[in-house]
Amino acid sequence: MSLTLPSLVSILVFPAGMFLILLGMVYEYVDRKLVARYQNRFGPRWFQPLADMFKLLAKEEIIPDGVNKALFIFLPILGVTAALTSALYTPMLGFAPAFSFRGDLILVVYMLSVLTICLGLAGANTVDRFSLVGATRTLTQLFSYEAPFMLTLLGPALAAGTLQISQINAYAQDTWWMILTQPIGFLVALIGLMGKLELPPFDAPEAETEIVSGALTEYSGRGLALFRIGKNVELVIGLTLISAFYLGGLANPLEFILKTLGLLLVIALLQSLFARLRIDQTVGLWWRIGAILALVQILILVVGRLFF
Amino acid sequence: MQEKVEKFIVPIGPQHPALKEPGHFEFSVDGEEVTGATIRLGFVHRGIEKMTESRTWIQNLYMLERVCGICSHVHGIAYTLGVEKLAGVTVPPRAQAIRTIVLELERIQSHMLWLGVAAHEGGFDTLFMYSWRDRETVMDLFELISGNRVQHSVNLVGGVKYDITPEQKQKVLDGLNYLEGRIQYYEKIITTDDTFLGRTRNVGKMTKEEATLLGAVGPTARASGVERDVRVESPYASYPGHPVNIVLDEGGDLTSRFIVRIREMFESIRVIREILTNLPESELTVRVPRRIPAGEVISRVEAPRGELFYYIKSAGGENPYRIKIRTPSLCNWGTISSVAVGHKLADMPMLLVGIDPCFSCNDRLVTVRKETSSQTMYWEDLRKYGVEYYQ
Repeated sequence: MSLTLPSLVSILVFPAGMFLILLGMVYEYVDRKLVARYQNRFGPRWFQPLADMFKLLAKEEIIPDGVNKALFIFLPILGVTAALTSALYTPMLGFAPAFSFRGDLILVVYMLSVLTICLGLAGANTVDRFSLVGATRTLTQLFSYEAPFMLTLLGPALAAGTLQISQINAYAQDTWWMILTQPIGFLVALIGLMGKLELPPFDAPEAETEIVSGALTEYSGRGLALFRIGKNVELVIGLTLISAFYLGGLANPLEFILKTLGLLLVIALLQSLFARLRIDQTVGLWWRIGAILALVQILILVVGRLFF
Repeated sequence: MQEKVEKFIVPIGPQHPALKEPGHFEFSVDGEEVTGATIRLGFVHRGIEKMTESRTWIQNLYMLERVCGICSHVHGIAYTLGVEKLAGVTVPPRAQAIRTIVLELERIQSHMLWLGVAAHEGGFDTLFMYSWRDRETVMDLFELISGNRVQHSVNLVGGVKYDITPEQKQKVLDGLNYLEGRIQYYEKIITTDDTFLGRTRNVGKMTKEEATLLGAVGPTARASGVERDVRVESPYASYPGHPVNIVLDEGGDLTSRFIVRIREMFESIRVIREILTNLPESELTVRVPRRIPAGEVISRVEAPRGELFYYIKSAGGENPYRIKIRTPSLCNWGTISSVAVGHKLADMPMLLVGIDPCFSCNDRLVTVRKETSSQTMYWEDLRKYGVEYYQ
């Protein structure tokens, strides 16, 4: 399904901009509610993420001593911008991406990492000890999940023979669901997304019982709100990418909602099943198991394409 | 200029999400590895010991039950046992039995609470929510027996206030049946869940010798294989008639501490069932004089966290002359600073919680700290300091 919109609308309203920010809040709500239900709690009310956001935006933004002020203000904006930009190249709601060119997958993966890097830099920018430990952990985690996660997105791209997201999406609709042909890739991608979003059990970078709030300890008000918006947006884009690649593509809004929410159901379950991994355990898991599994998957694909 | 080695110190507390009560811990870290740990307590000193001296024997019972919010009954027991010994009265057997039932229910309640908190520190919030949900069963039983959920206030000097009727007995047994099933499930989780074992196995390992040397008490000591349980060593209340099997584990790490506490809950359930089915018939109270004869007594009981020690001295008046309380958490602090070194920073919250600390119960003395560095005081110094301070 394709939708042609003026550039300004596609940047400010749909698929990036306001729409994505609101959708991110909806997904945050669903995630929180699901985790709460899995844990036998009631969970938040439907407007809680929105209320949180308004509250944070209305609050005073405190800039602590000893930071580079320009960076402190600029980093959250850059992070959110990168996350929102990547949405322009994904098949949001099942419509064709607003912009598309050969190799846009690489751009999207890069844009999604920018947010995490901003988070790490924001932590390293302050002199707070919890932030510094959090920043170290954030960046360590980035280096551990990033490679396997990219490899798993490369799998469907190899199968489709293109690095253009819209074409991979179209290819996925025509053939078997790639969760069946590349189950390992799907699994690693899903867990990689959880690592990317620092969801439990990969929440060592913001483990509240150890380092308060990690890299974001010193952030309050607008900066914190922007980082949270960025995280939510990243959640939506990650879910979109994985369901477009592995769950038979996204052809219309209904498919989009069903498939992404289905994925979110699984992610919420995984979040509530495990104890938090230590950062050394996270790195070990990704490099000893995740990366090798992803490589095996790619190898199988390459060999398969050579001989069949 | 001499090169100064800079330490990167991560402070935990007095206000920190990991702590439910104020305490201050400084962990010097090298990357993620902890190279040193210091503990500073005393943020919630309430002066209860001093307050007891200006209250009557009866009033003191209600205040001492408020030393701890989690194990209020056991403080009441330690106090009443001591005072009754001084007064030379014997509490009727039914009152003893009801006291013991509440004691063991309280142990289950406390261990369930601890299980949740410890799981939360390890980032396992699902177990936290589940165990606290099931803990409600015990809280409801407390409400059924005494009308109160937290400060049960079952004790009187010379007996108990509440009887257990046959209907209540049945409800308590039903509640225990439900809990037993749930606790079995938790035992399975803590011994088989890989991520959980990854966070607890070989963390905070303490040998039997170390535990003895550091004076660990309660489940912390028993998890290292030290046979130390007041209920077994010098039974009180109904324990002589219904002996408790000591729960030991040889591991000495966090996993063992989980296992010991979980198995103690099974033991508690067994003891409660045994006492409930053989509940003796008698009066609930015995008359105790308003003035307690002069003398001094030591009263030791096994709180959920370990040995609780009361020293009570009477000068023959309506008020006690001196009451000294030593709670189990105080004995266990030493184990943390010595085993913390070499572990990861991420293990610290679980290690702290591993001894089930109760801060406000043990805050007694203000630590002396110079501006430049912390200071170790030996017994002679401490005694001298105390004498000089109070002159």
